[in-house]
Amino acid sequence: MEKQIRDKAKELLSSQAVDCVIGYGRATDGVTSRPLFVYEPEKADELIFDKTCTHNLTKYLLNRKGKKTGIVVKGCDSRAINVLLNEEQIKREEVSIIGVVCEGIVEVSWNQVSEILQTRCRYCHQHAPLVYDFLAGEPIKELLPTGEEHPAVTEIEAKSLEEREAFWSEHFDRCCRCYACRQVCPGCYCTECFVDSLDPLWVGIRIAPAENQIWHSIRAFHLAGRCAGCNECERVCPMNIPLRLLNRKLANTVEELFNFQAGLNAEEMQPLGTFIKEENVGIG
Amino acid sequence: MFIIWEGKVDSSNPFIPHLATIQSVTDLTSDVKLFRIELNDPAVQENFDYKPGQFAFVSAFGIGESPFCITSVAHLSEGLEFAIRRVGTVTNSLHELEEGAIVGVRGPYGNNFPLKDYEGKNIFIIGGGIGMAPLRPVINFILGHRDSYGDLLVINGARTPQDLVFAPEFDTWSQSPNAKLELTVDRGDENWTGRVDLVPNVVKEIKPSPENTIAITCGPPIMIRFTLAALKELGFAPRQIVTTLEGNMKCGLGKCARCNVGDKYICKDGPVFNFEQISSLFEEA
Amino acid sequence: MTQIISKSDLITWLNKLAESHVLIGPVNDNAGVTLFRKVSQAEEIAFDFTNTTLSPKEWFFPPTETLFTVERKDGQVELVPAEDVEAKVIFGMRPCDARGIALLDKPFLNEPADTLYQQHRDKTALIGLSCREVLPECFCTSMGTAPDDSSNMDILLTEVADGYIIQVVTEKGAALLAECPEGLLKQSEVTPPALSSAATVPIEGITEIMAENFDNVYWERLADRCLHCNLCAYVCPTCYCFDVRDYNDKGKVERVRTWESCQSSGFTRIAGGYDRRAGKAPHLRQRFYHKLFYFPAEFGSVACVGCGRCVKACPVNVDIREVIMDVHNLGGQSGQQ
Repeated sequence: MEKQIRDKAKELLSSQAVDCVIGYGRATDGVTSRPLFVYEPEKADELIFDKTCTHNLTKYLLNRKGKKTGIVVKGCDSRAINVLLNEEQIKREEVSIIGVVCEGIVEVSWNQVSEILQTRCRYCHQHAPLVYDFLAGEPIKELLPTGEEHPAVTEIEAKSLEEREAFWSEHFDRCCRCYACRQVCPGCYCTECFVDSLDPLWVGIRIAPAENQIWHSIRAFHLAGRCAGCNECERVCPMNIPLRLLNRKLANTVEELFNFQAGLNAEEMQPLGTFIKEENVGIG
Repeated sequence: MFIIWEGKVDSSNPFIPHLATIQSVTDLTSDVKLFRIELNDPAVQENFDYKPGQFAFVSAFGIGESPFCITSVAHLSEGLEFAIRRVGTVTNSLHELEEGAIVGVRGPYGNNFPLKDYEGKNIFIIGGGIGMAPLRPVINFILGHRDSYGDLLVINGARTPQDLVFAPEFDTWSQSPNAKLELTVDRGDENWTGRVDLVPNVVKEIKPSPENTIAITCGPPIMIRFTLAALKELGFAPRQIVTTLEGNMKCGLGKCARCNVGDKYICKDGPVFNFEQISSLFEEA
Repeated sequence: MTQIISKSDLITWLNKLAESHVLIGPVNDNAGVTLFRKVSQAEEIAFDFTNTTLSPKEWFFPPTETLFTVERKDGQVELVPAEDVEAKVIFGMRPCDARGIALLDKPFLNEPADTLYQQHRDKTALIGLSCREVLPECFCTSMGTAPDDSSNMDILLTEVADGYIIQVVTEKGAALLAECPEGLLKQSEVTPPALSSAATVPIEGITEIMAENFDNVYWERLADRCLHCNLCAYVCPTCYCFDVRDYNDKGKVERVRTWESCQSSGFTRIAGGYDRRAGKAPHLRQRFYHKLFYFPAEFGSVACVGCGRCVKACPVNVDIREVIMDVHNLGGQSGQQ
């Protein structure tokens, strides 16, 4: 599969179909991976793909508007591609998608590669990308999800209001507001994030529990029906805040109310971005 | 016996501003107001010495503080004057304030225009829009020490005639001995009989001699860029061209690390630099 | 002969200190995060920690700190300085983090001194703990300190088989040790094994090479990958950029200082929108130029202690060790785009 990725990247760069291919390279720890930007065909051999390639690279497409770009995309990441196409943040003709068949990514952190499949991968339905120009890897029979769907969300839902408040307070209190969650998220591309706005001022300047709670709550709502579930926000959080639970909960709600999952195609409008009078879901 | 060590607890926290009262607010243009502010403690006001080019932070309590150049000349006016354009949250809030309102002032900070070194030289001022604010004290200082300087030429540009910030002082400036004032606007109106041209073009047209002359310029970045080119064309050496820089600064003390341009801080090493200094900076100023 | 204290006696001593000081030490959170936190009892301290998620700089330069409050009464305005800080003892300071504090001293205590920071410094004692384990991301020995460096501490403890060897460094440290209940300190002849950090980084001569490479396309390429979050700056023991704004809670006004990072998009933008450092690459370049060129020019030392936190925490592996090596390889020839 690596050879397929490298060959395709070389071809795209040599033919000048793209001027950059964004893929995965080896990290400085020697065992995990990191995003790699390849500009010259001869550097394409540095591209890798293995079970540590957890990053969702689609975020980088937002920095390359108007430039022809090749990108390595897993099944989960392809949902983000669809979201960005739907929201007209990227142009299909500017992006050459090297899709990869993925059998799941393991839990990784700096210098550590576990054998444990990431939770999201245990109930993955998109082992092959939904959208691609070239597919690397053998088109495999869809693997059946091996994990129970979103068990942690159900667990939290079962808690009382007070317990839930305590649960989230404990996590949000730790937040240092580094905004890694926002910066890594393909869905977070506002020219001015509400948290940075001074006029109007939505969130006070303090890095403190009340403000942290507002930050995470509003961000989650902004992603409802748009979050592609790549889980990058949770991965990058230095404080181990289980952001996936928030996003997953809202994704579940959107699915229940509107029978909609983010990123399954590029055409269907996300429910919270449209207003259909008949679509009375009993809110308000 | 427990050990509790005493810190050097003092109230000299450099972030605490002096309380001050707005003495008057004058509309200069549709979005610029002149605030005359006096520090509430007369002794502090008396000792608040500053030079043309220096700046101070003005607080709108509840919103925040921002740095502004002090546009008055020490000992020539009562208190401190700031010409403030409504452009962000702090300035919006200051614009809402009226005579008698309490604000905070801390400073003065930064270096200044080395006017002592310029004695005996011709002074060429080129200002655009609110960029005239730091240049006004230079003009008024020179007019107040008229014999110590050569010719004074001021080119002042603005978007429209209504945006010429210090219009009420134009007569004083232009009628002073050996002083000349050239005004220009991007767009005139039915009453405007003056120039409609860009500042750098006016510089090229008037062609002041670089000999024994210091050019001091401040204005929008694009105006500075082309003015600089025009001055170089006229033979001004970079060290003869002086400007004052703006930065997103939070302390004025060289601590918040936000206003550095390369290894220099605008707040501490500047805001006044000549272009010889600026060209040696790592970053674009 | 050195003095040694057993672990249980150490806890007794720390609990004694906690009676008259706020005791702070590394605490394991349920979520797998270790942070320096106030403890009511020394038993809450995680003695077996390696390195904390955030550096202890947060106790000297807190993420959010009130500079003063604005009191309004009968049309009068009064500015009330922040309350005096509490006397603190921080237990478990690693040598790299202590050096981080020593580096923070340079900008904050430079005249005019930042009085709040000064208070935190004056009223805090550091009980250091030598590292027992060197982590793969550590490179402290390249950055002017060492796993058992006692400088910048008030007391340094080094764990050995039957307790902790005590090195008193300052008078403040001696005063703390005088608080130790009688009979807990024993004599010992044990010498702890020496450790040095795993990675070595060629820091020698870095500022000279940085001076040559400001316009190198290298920074553009590095910034391709960077997410421009504030993570590296917030976990860093030496990053000290800050923001100052007013916090207005229904008329209760405080001027607060918060952490800020040179990576945030509005860092150099001024009101009206002009930004002389627009673009992603200049932002990331600022980070490394501040650490490896401007800070050394101003204060004589690179602004890095080799704790490895940014190396470990960066979501996209922007690794300062690699950057330093890359810059060395760039050499004196500035690359062209």
